[in-house]
Amino acid sequence: MFTLIEHPTRILFFTGKGGVGKTSAACATAIGLADGGKRVLLVSTDPASNLDEVLGVALAGSPRAVPGVPGLSALNIDPELAAQAYRERVVGPYRGVLPAAAVASIEEQLSGACTVEIAAFDEFSTLLGDPDATRAFDHVVFDTAPTGHTLRLLELPAAWSTFIETNMGGTSCLGPLSGLKAQQSLYAASNAALRDGTQTTLVLVARPDRPSLTEAERTRSELHDIGIRNVRLILNGVFHAQDKHDAIAMALDARGRTSLDEMPAGLRRLSRLDVPLLPFGLVGIASLRQMGAGGAGADEPIAAVAESSYRGENLDALVQEIAGRGKGVVMTMGKGGVGKTTVAVRIATHLARAGHRVMLTTTDPAAHVDAAARERPATLQVTRIDPAAETRRYTEEVLATAGQGLDAQGRALLEEDLRSPCTEEIAVFRAFADMVALGADQFVVIDTAPTGHTLLLLDAAESYHREVLRKPSGHSEAVQQLLPRLRDPLFTMVLLVTLPEATPIHEAMQLERDLARAEIAPFAWVVNQSLTPLAVTDPVLRARRSHEAVHLRELAGHARRTALEPWHADVMAVAPTHA
Amino acid sequence: MTAVRVFDPAMCCSSGVCGPSVDPRLARFSADLDWLKTQGVSVDRFNLAQQPAAFAEDQSVRSTLEVKGAAGLPVVKVNGEIKSSGVYPSRAELSSWAGIG
Repeated sequence: MFTLIEHPTRILFFTGKGGVGKTSAACATAIGLADGGKRVLLVSTDPASNLDEVLGVALAGSPRAVPGVPGLSALNIDPELAAQAYRERVVGPYRGVLPAAAVASIEEQLSGACTVEIAAFDEFSTLLGDPDATRAFDHVVFDTAPTGHTLRLLELPAAWSTFIETNMGGTSCLGPLSGLKAQQSLYAASNAALRDGTQTTLVLVARPDRPSLTEAERTRSELHDIGIRNVRLILNGVFHAQDKHDAIAMALDARGRTSLDEMPAGLRRLSRLDVPLLPFGLVGIASLRQMGAGGAGADEPIAAVAESSYRGENLDALVQEIAGRGKGVVMTMGKGGVGKTTVAVRIATHLARAGHRVMLTTTDPAAHVDAAARERPATLQVTRIDPAAETRRYTEEVLATAGQGLDAQGRALLEEDLRSPCTEEIAVFRAFADMVALGADQFVVIDTAPTGHTLLLLDAAESYHREVLRKPSGHSEAVQQLLPRLRDPLFTMVLLVTLPEATPIHEAMQLERDLARAEIAPFAWVVNQSLTPLAVTDPVLRARRSHEAVHLRELAGHARRTALEPWHADVMAVAPTHA
Repeated sequence: MTAVRVFDPAMCCSSGVCGPSVDPRLARFSADLDWLKTQGVSVDRFNLAQQPAAFAEDQSVRSTLEVKGAAGLPVVKVNGEIKSSGVYPSRAELSSWAGIG
């Protein structure tokens, strides 16, 4: 029998860059195990989780049975909700006991990005480190967040247990973490569980293209370095052209073959499973069962579906309009893997080619902007907000200002505080604000971090804004102006980038709602890698193309403006630089 | 033994490096408290965001909060008596209250 994962360990992690299909792979595996008579818990820790949609059930923070799959339960760790619950645990007992102003100031302090991260981590650790929490299940399958975020979560048990042990100051900087100290043994247990190959398997999910495989290799080597060795690979979307006269199909086929030939040696050594490119979207239990069965049915004749007449606008027309403004900030936003970087590079290059001064920058920890910007007009500058470098710079600045005049012991205390997990968040935020400020005089094109991280940045912006309003002095102009600038449609143009598939479109709609809460409205939508503008004849691609029509119709009734960017063979085909 | 108790405003950490901008007074104050400990003074520090119980249990701190709101913090108490409110005292003040030197 075909199974996605043979001899599965009790704990399974699925990881990979957004859009590679790790949610589908995790779901198909969980369904397969449950169909085989096992009791399975499926867990999502992704801030932008779409498990609800994929499984067709509304998930909550505690296990819920998945209808139609006996033995399968699922839950979603929503970091915002976890943070809310965490806040309430801390603040609740003091309502009516402490004065209202004091309670409000505690709540405000606990509304930052650190609390969100910590609260989600707390929940995650309980599932991983406390056997009682998952005793009712034979397998626990984690559909984890995009790579950078996953690694941060995975690294935290090691980093933080060290931090807790070596923190000599006692009341010193653990931020809202201090409340977690009592559970140190839990972190030790979750740490051990992660590294124990008899308990835990880590499944890397990648697409058969070079950037995706390079990303997977980077993750593999990072996991290897932190002691996680039981790793497997799923290649999702392997495509063999059936119609040799279809140029697009042949290009897709060739790209896949080339990438497999050049697969990094580290990945080649892993046990691997190929899942074919399926002619249908992976939403709903039935299609997931089909994926789990190796895409059975893909070779059957595929019924032709009515063609769509919807063509949207094209990206060049949008860029033309943006260029007419002469300056401002362009932010490409969307889930990882939808091609934010490609779109950002294209826009920046076009603007620069027209003679405008352009700064192309990224906050994405897994940034490839620099490598992807192949053509470099003289007026185009490319920078990356590197979290490690920003943290170093911020640390040095603090030591040079606040650290001035302290004795050796005082300086040591300050340095210790600066090693807290919050420092990076603040350093990155300041760099982001500085970049946005440049948009007052020139074009700044920002390829933002994946959804969850982006929202954390915006959330941080919000609390900084409140801080600023209360204490108008002492903050840089860039920080004070950040949120008003992001909200000003004449200053900032947000492009929501997505793929012509159900899940990425719905995730982008979710992002649009989150932005609306921060009073930010998108300038336009960009549907990347669309087959609609292309003349494809291969049966699998034609089936996918007609599937697109359904989603594009939905989008046409929703978005004010939408540009379709056609699929092309060299999308992100440039080898990323190694950080 | 002399006992110093500090009731900080709600903040991420006691040196303030986690805030939007670093207040040099906070870094200095942390260093001063650390120095007090080396002089044999018992020092306890409470952060409103992390240890609200300490604020709720202390009658004089609670009344300070009721009268002045969050602006009344930090409160510094030496041997049970409030010595300062709303400001971070200097090392000289701390050592004089604690009867050092």
